[in-house]
Amino acid sequence: MTTTVDTARSAGTPPPAARPGARRRARRPLADVAVPYLMMLPAVVLIVALLGWPAIQVLLISFRKLDLGELVKGKVVWVGFDNYTNVLSDPGFWEIGLRTVLFTAGAVVATLLLGLGIALLMRHLSRWVRIVLQVSLVLAWATPIIATTTVFQWIFDQQYGILNKTLVKLGFDSFQGHSWFSTGGDVLIVIGLLVVWQAVPFIAFTLYAGLIGTSKDLYEAVALDGAGGWQAFRAVSWPAVKPLLTMVTFLSVLWDFKVIAQVWAMRQGGPDGGSTTLPVLLYLRGIAASHFGIASAVAVLMLIVLVAITWRYMRLLIRSPETEL
Amino acid sequence: MLRKTHAQRLALAVVGLVVALVFFFPTYWMFTTALKTPAQILSPAYDLIPLSATFKNFVNAVTKPGFTTFLTNSLIVTLGAVACSLIAGMLAAVPLARLRFRGRKGFLLLVLIAQVAPLEALFIPMYLIMRDADLLNELPGLILVYVALTLPFTVWTLRGFVKGIPVELEEAGMVDGCGRWGVFRRITLPLLGPGLVATSVFGFITAWNEFLYGLVFMRDKDKQTLPVWLSTFKTAFGTDWGGIMAASVVYAIPALIFFLLVQRKLVSGGTAGAVKG
Repeated sequence: MTTTVDTARSAGTPPPAARPGARRRARRPLADVAVPYLMMLPAVVLIVALLGWPAIQVLLISFRKLDLGELVKGKVVWVGFDNYTNVLSDPGFWEIGLRTVLFTAGAVVATLLLGLGIALLMRHLSRWVRIVLQVSLVLAWATPIIATTTVFQWIFDQQYGILNKTLVKLGFDSFQGHSWFSTGGDVLIVIGLLVVWQAVPFIAFTLYAGLIGTSKDLYEAVALDGAGGWQAFRAVSWPAVKPLLTMVTFLSVLWDFKVIAQVWAMRQGGPDGGSTTLPVLLYLRGIAASHFGIASAVAVLMLIVLVAITWRYMRLLIRSPETEL
Repeated sequence: MLRKTHAQRLALAVVGLVVALVFFFPTYWMFTTALKTPAQILSPAYDLIPLSATFKNFVNAVTKPGFTTFLTNSLIVTLGAVACSLIAGMLAAVPLARLRFRGRKGFLLLVLIAQVAPLEALFIPMYLIMRDADLLNELPGLILVYVALTLPFTVWTLRGFVKGIPVELEEAGMVDGCGRWGVFRRITLPLLGPGLVATSVFGFITAWNEFLYGLVFMRDKDKQTLPVWLSTFKTAFGTDWGGIMAASVVYAIPALIFFLLVQRKLVSGGTAGAVKG
C-alpha cells in the first residue's frame, strides 16, 4: 500500500513538499486529529438530519403518489413525473405562481426603494430627528410577525378601523364601512404593506451602515468640484451602497417569495383563494388535503425557482473574501 | 449639500418625522388599543390619544382558556431550541474558527447553504418524518425544527465571535500551563460571553416568531404555540379588539425587550456577510 501511494505522490507533486506534511500528521496522535470532527459532529448531524434529509425526501416524495391511503398503509407507489404534470397542467397553479411572482416583485421593489430612501434621509437628518426615526424603525422591526398581523387587521377593520375613520375624517366619505379585504387583490395589497412595513427597517439600517462607512471628505471633495446632490449620490453614495443593495435584494426576494405566516394569518388565502400564494398552496394541497406527493412537487418547483434566483448571490457570497471559508 | 438652507432642514425634519410616525403607529396602536375599554374601542369617536387606561383587556387575555398553556409551550420550544443550538453551535464554532483540518471548507459551505435553506418549502417531508418518529403534536418535534432554523446562523455568528478573540490570549494560557479545556473555560468562554448572549437572543427572536411549523405540527389545541393561537384570535375573542391587542402585546413584549438589547449588533451582523466590491 505504501509503495503505491509513494509512487503516485512522487509522480504528481515533488516529494519534499508532500513528505513534511505527511510526517507532521503522522506524529499527531489520533485523538488530536479527531477532536475537530468530534466537536463538529452534533451540528453536522443536526443539519444533515433536519435540513439535508428533508431536502432529499421532498424530491423523492415528489415522484410518488402519496395520499392519506398510501400513508396509512405505508405503501410506496412511484409515479414518475405524474405529480409534476398534474401540477403544471393546472391553470390554477400558473395563476397562483404568477400572483406570487407579482407579489414578490412588488414587495421587493417597494421595500428597496423605501429602504434606500430612508437610509439616505437618515444621513441628512439632524441628530434628534434621526434618533426618533431609528427608534420607530426598530419598533416596527422587532414586533413579532403575528402580533403585527393582528394589529394590521385592526387598523384596516371595516367598521372601527382607524384607517377608515381617518379617511372619513379627511373628507373621503366613501370609506365609511369600506372593506379592505373584499377581493384577493385587496388582501394581498394589505399583506404587501405589512410585509414591506416590517422589512424596510432592516434594509434601511443595512444601507445606512454602508453609507456612514463612506467618509465625509469624499462628499466635501465632490461638493468642491461643484457636484450637485444627484451627482454626489452617483459618485459617492451609490458605489458605497451598491454591493449592499445587491445583497439585500437577494435576501428580500428570498424572504418575500416564501412569505406564508402573514398570508395565512390574514385571510387563510381567501376570499375564494384570491390571496393564495405558492407557500399557501403548498399548505392547502399538502397538509390540509393530504396530497403529499403533489404538494412535494409544488415544493420542488418552488425550490428550483428560489435556487435559480439566489444562485448568483450564493456564488458571490461563497467567493467573497469576507466569507473566508 | 453640506450647507442646507433653513427651509431645507425643516422640510427634511418634517419628512423624517412623518416616516417615523408611519413606522411607529401600528405598534403604538397595539399598545393604546389594549388599554381602552370596549366602549371606547367600538365607538365612532376619533381618539388617537387615550385619555384613560384600563388593564382589564390584559386580564381578559391572560385568563382566556389555554393562554398559559400556549405561553408555556412557546417558551419551552423557544428556549429548548436556543439551548440546543447554542451547545451544538459552540462546539462547531471553535474548531471552525481556530483549527485547521481536512473538510473545514466543506463544513463551512454546508452551514452557509443551510443558512439560506427555505424551511418553508420543506414542511411536507418534515411533517412525514416527524409523523414516522411519533413527534407530531409533541414539543420536542417542534424544538428539533427550531434547532434547524437557528443552528446554521448560530454556528456562523459564533465562529465570527471566536475569531474576534485574539489568539495570543489563548496561546498565553497554553504557555501558562492551562490545558486546551482550561484555556477554553478560563479565557475563550468568558470573552465569548457577549457573543453568546447576542446569538442566543437572535435565536430566541427567530424561534419565538416562527408560525408555519407550529401550525403544521401542533394539531392538538393544547399543544399550540402563542403565535398560532393568536392567528385564530377571531374564534377566541370575536370582535374583542382590546383583548386581541392585549394578547398581542403580551406576545410581543419578550421579543421587543430582547430586540432592543441586541439591536446594534443585529445591524452590524446584517452587514457582516455582505458582499463587498
